[in-house]
Amino acid sequence: MGIVFDIKEFAVHDGPGIRTTVFLKGCPLRCAWCHNPEGFSPEPQVMTGPAGTRTVGQTYSSDELAARLNQLAEVLQANEGGVTFSGGEPLLQAGFVAEVIDRLDHLHVLLDTCGHASEQDFRLVVSRSDLVFYDLKLMNPVEHRRWTGADNTKILRNLDVLSGMDVPFVVRVPLVPGVTDTDENVAAVAERIRGLPGLRRVDLLPYNKGAGGKYKACGMDFRPSYDESAKPRVNPAPFEGAGIEVHVR
Amino acid sequence: MKERLEQMKCRVRDREHKSLRQDVKLDICEECEAEELSWPRRMARITEKMCEAERPVILPDEQIVFTRTVKGVPGAPMPKDVQARLDAEGKRTGWGAGNICCDWGMPLSQGLLGRREVAERTRHRLANDADAVEFLDAAIQTIDAVLGLVARYAEEARKQGRDDLVAILEQVPARPPRTFHQALQSHRFMHAAVWMSGSVHVGLGRLDQYMWPYLKADLDAGRLTTEQAEELLAEFFIGLNKDTDLYPGVQQGDNGQSLMLGGVTREGNDAVNPLTWMVLRVSHDVNMIDPKINLRVNRNTDIDLLTEAARLTRRGLGFPQYANDEVVIPGLAAHGYDLEDARDYTVAACWEFIIPGRGMDAPGAGAMSFPAATDKAIREGLAAGDTFEQILERTRLNIRQQVQAHVNRWKRSTVGVPAPYYSVLMTDCLEQGRDVTDGGAKYYNHGIHGAGSSNAVDALAAVKKFVFTEQSVAPDELLRALAANFENDEPLRQKLFNEGPKLGNDDSVNSLLTVLFDLFAEACEEIQDNGRGGIVRAGTGTAMYYIWLAKKPEEGDMAEPGVGATADGRHAGDFFSSSLAPSPGVKVRGPISILQAFSNIDYQRVCNGGPITMELSDTVFRDEEAVRKVAMLVRTFAMLGCQQLQLNTLNVKVLQDAKQHPERHRDLIVRVWGWSGYFCELDEPYQDHIIARHSFAL
Repeated sequence: MGIVFDIKEFAVHDGPGIRTTVFLKGCPLRCAWCHNPEGFSPEPQVMTGPAGTRTVGQTYSSDELAARLNQLAEVLQANEGGVTFSGGEPLLQAGFVAEVIDRLDHLHVLLDTCGHASEQDFRLVVSRSDLVFYDLKLMNPVEHRRWTGADNTKILRNLDVLSGMDVPFVVRVPLVPGVTDTDENVAAVAERIRGLPGLRRVDLLPYNKGAGGKYKACGMDFRPSYDESAKPRVNPAPFEGAGIEVHVR
Repeated sequence: MKERLEQMKCRVRDREHKSLRQDVKLDICEECEAEELSWPRRMARITEKMCEAERPVILPDEQIVFTRTVKGVPGAPMPKDVQARLDAEGKRTGWGAGNICCDWGMPLSQGLLGRREVAERTRHRLANDADAVEFLDAAIQTIDAVLGLVARYAEEARKQGRDDLVAILEQVPARPPRTFHQALQSHRFMHAAVWMSGSVHVGLGRLDQYMWPYLKADLDAGRLTTEQAEELLAEFFIGLNKDTDLYPGVQQGDNGQSLMLGGVTREGNDAVNPLTWMVLRVSHDVNMIDPKINLRVNRNTDIDLLTEAARLTRRGLGFPQYANDEVVIPGLAAHGYDLEDARDYTVAACWEFIIPGRGMDAPGAGAMSFPAATDKAIREGLAAGDTFEQILERTRLNIRQQVQAHVNRWKRSTVGVPAPYYSVLMTDCLEQGRDVTDGGAKYYNHGIHGAGSSNAVDALAAVKKFVFTEQSVAPDELLRALAANFENDEPLRQKLFNEGPKLGNDDSVNSLLTVLFDLFAEACEEIQDNGRGGIVRAGTGTAMYYIWLAKKPEEGDMAEPGVGATADGRHAGDFFSSSLAPSPGVKVRGPISILQAFSNIDYQRVCNGGPITMELSDTVFRDEEAVRKVAMLVRTFAMLGCQQLQLNTLNVKVLQDAKQHPERHRDLIVRVWGWSGYFCELDEPYQDHIIARHSFAL
């Protein structure tokens, strides 16, 4: 069984074509800028908003979830799309996700991951995916621990595993003002991924105010220690210099 | 858009031309009675008076002229003898020519003088047919009236030294246009004059078809560049917004100036041409409520054309509206329309499928309330100890009873108000010597909106699940709660509303939708004659009935029945969905599931029209890639075999309402950054932030 906090149809910003995005509940990181706090815990929880309360976190068997996704297969296939597994962190439920993928009806699979997982889990799901969105936030391990709650050892190791697996991938860098958007960090990311086999492009995701929208509904406080109102610095130059295609989203 | 047009648009939007309006009272009743004028002649007389009362307005920056200065749409002074005859037969006042569409290409290509010649010839041929002669004389009188008005415009142009306009106005609308510019000017006069002749909701039809030959000739001859053509088209569109406050409708803007693009020719060939694209671009740039754009598509429509259309959707104007040729054409053919005519379809004021020039259909002639039909069946059936199948049978009878009641009402209103000027612009009316409201048209069918289907389906599904399958709700318990509007039964209401199966996210419910619309179609198909020699078409739209029919039976002032609380957990008085959409407040899976759900309707039997209605947040349209995905959504709509689709981009007003009434907008998704969330789950400051952002975007 797996636990999911949302299934979004017609997800237009989560990969090529028309896609259905599955948000798996539970995440090993606690990024200070995370906009999906209901994705932290791997347990069902009650969210209370102005519209009332609802329980977030539905459990599915792999058969049930695959059946639900296959219902739209014809439409997704006809529109250059497929299924995106996001979260939370889908690799926290790697076995479940792999089972679901094995039951999909020839659908294009995109894995959207932070990479913080065992190599075994990582390989299990990536080997079943057609495209990977791979988040790289901070190159400095101390900074990484400070802002996400874990260092980046596993993430950087899995990056190398990924580049040896013959699955195309896109590196995504959230640009959080004063945290990840520094010239130093951006240059280090560019240097780290330069020339990696399988790398298709880099997406830079500038931070906008609004990440804290759902915290109160989850019974949490959102108190970022970075300057939320500052405009993130968007500097694609290091990537262009490394010969990498770069998109600003 | 050029500065000239921007300024013109601002003037029109601010209604500066209102200062030019005259307060003319036109009352011709007395003189008509004194002269004992026939009804057609009375309609011609009022048209003439309206034209004569107009004061020519030519502003220095205008290249296409005509501004109405006389307010209102004239009434129809019915002769006493006609009234006496109606009274004697126990019948009501007649119906008028409205909510239809002219055969625009025909009068354009013939010119009004060409139409006059046709009328003269028919008059000669039918000299012994007094009714025909009376009609044709009236029609000729209206042509002369309109040409008289144009002559005064030409005179004014001469006075102002506008030789460019003088040359145009001496050619059109009297004679066939020689250029695209002249064609647009000709159309402006012919179209506006329809309102002045006493008709409303005057459609624009397939403009990219009938205007293209003129544009193509200009482009081929090098007389006009594409840029110049777009400028003329923009001015023409701005002009259509001048008089909208004079046109009556349920709300301002409800004026029937619908325009259809694309599709196939009468011969069945692809009809998309460069003007199809141009209209989409120009409409995007003009960014005003008129004309209302519709686009005919099929599963193979060029994705780039759909992307151009999606750019227009992003504007938030609520159009284009899409119709699926693969479903609509065979549907109309199955209802007795000749295939060539079916291929030529356009829409009436809102969405109802009609044939330009040939259709005098009344496609919005009332509504059938699905919730009233199912609710009566549920209440009476449960009280009588029915099975679920017996409740369905009661539903069938209730639907049938509502449809029959409509037909009986119509049969008391069989006389049409003469429309001699409208008839000039319709196919074959002058040729036959018959008014469009008196046998001159080819089709006289009626359409009934099938309103509130999703609430009705959800109510049936809840009863099936909780009362019959699970037996977790006793019939008495439900009946008591419904009677008391759930006053002391909030937990039960919550259960019905939150745990009941809902249309859009449950296949078993989706199939009940098929059942309900089949019953509706069956009831309509039983009708051999609607009282005007036509059939009755079942439809999927609601118009304003989603509000009107939601009233309690005792509060309703409609011919159609009202309804109290319903078994889907809806409180009495809560609105239904507009046209085809999941029940209000129900959380559903998403746009594709909604399309799948509504693809279950048998549109060969249900072909009056009425769109699946979806609202996208404008944050969806972040980049060109996303716009293209909206185009893919439209292609999916066609691929799944749905009939009609209206995509709305949400604006700040809706967001503000969502803040005040989150329960009504639970499905509203907004993009906040690299992510989306349910608007109503965001904290207030974030909601405010998004509202503010949208305001800036406006």
